[in-house]
Amino acid sequence: MQADATEKRMRELMLAALDGDAAAYRRLLAELTRYLRPWFARRLSPSHASHAEDLVQETLLALHSKRLTYDRSRPFTAWLHAVAHHKFVDHVRRHAIRPTVPLADDAPIFAVDDSAHAADRRDVDAVLTEVPERTADLIRQTRIEGASVAEAAARHGMSETAAKVSIHRGLKSLMSKFAGSRK
Amino acid sequence: MTDDLIDRLSADLEPTPVNALEKRLFLAIATGLVATILVGPLLLDLLVGRPFGGAWGSSMFWGKLAYTIGLGGLGLIAIPALSRPDRRRVWPFLLAGVTILLALAAGTLSWMQADWAMPVLMGGTALVCPWLIILTAAPLLWILLAALRSFAPASPTLAGLGAGLLAGGFGAAAYAFYCGETSMMFMAVWYSLGIALTALLGAIIGRYLLRW
Repeated sequence: MQADATEKRMRELMLAALDGDAAAYRRLLAELTRYLRPWFARRLSPSHASHAEDLVQETLLALHSKRLTYDRSRPFTAWLHAVAHHKFVDHVRRHAIRPTVPLADDAPIFAVDDSAHAADRRDVDAVLTEVPERTADLIRQTRIEGASVAEAAARHGMSETAAKVSIHRGLKSLMSKFAGSRK
Repeated sequence: MTDDLIDRLSADLEPTPVNALEKRLFLAIATGLVATILVGPLLLDLLVGRPFGGAWGSSMFWGKLAYTIGLGGLGLIAIPALSRPDRRRVWPFLLAGVTILLALAAGTLSWMQADWAMPVLMGGTALVCPWLIILTAAPLLWILLAALRSFAPASPTLAGLGAGLLAGGFGAAAYAFYCGETSMMFMAVWYSLGIALTALLGAIIGRYLLRW
């Protein structure tokens, strides 16, 4: 198996490095960089992809300063994975990274109503008949016409919280009806 | 950039001896034990006025010694695994919890036989006992945590807890030589409390100090 071949090669390099073989150590670090860079990049959202290089360096530094915690009788890849994972979690926590979207893209989905998409609008109307009339109207006002929740709630003479709950429930039931069964 | 780093790291490479982690750990524990044992004559005897061997000759003295060394030993078993990023070992803590519960049960039983007499529970030193145990354990805990800083614990909090249990257990054993109490219930409540507080202290300090 390929994974075993990788483990065997890496472990031999690591053991040589622990015994002071600088050439093996250099090869190990260079090779790890090749694996770590895409590994981190995959785990970061595109807007944080530039952090991948920092994380690679932090992992190499941790490997260097914490190399005495590697137990020679255990798999090297598992140890390295634990180090890289620790650095990743630490990084995400420290930068308080949450799945975020740039502000400009954060408008409600239906806010831009291109009239060329009349068919879409018809679909929206058809879909909204699936929820109670008041909920449909709240959703239409807040999500399509761009009214604030407070405005829409006032028009229906209900509290803002109740309107929010109603909108949320309506969207949720629509999602469950139309979003298909994603597993 | 990363290539520069690789150059610098491989230029900085020094051989790592086999079992380097264990050696460093046990050196720290040995140093810490000496420091903790020194607390006895210097602090407990001279400052607090506790003569050496207050409970000498009582069977409970050996009971206390076995109990505290047992708990410290569980910390000692946990620590090497908890110092590594790819290992985890929680059972010593569970076993320590069970041991404390068993001691409390046995203590309650003996207290019941003594007809719930207050001195059996409180002895003469109940309110200072946990604090003196923490004080006695402090040098060992400190030296141990300092050594753990050069390791890479998967969970800094758990590693700190393990260090605290080890230090608390052996610290309480050192304290037992200067403690005149001979009741089972006293040990089960106040010694356990001192050890548990030391473990908790280790966990709290470890959470911040052992980050890497």
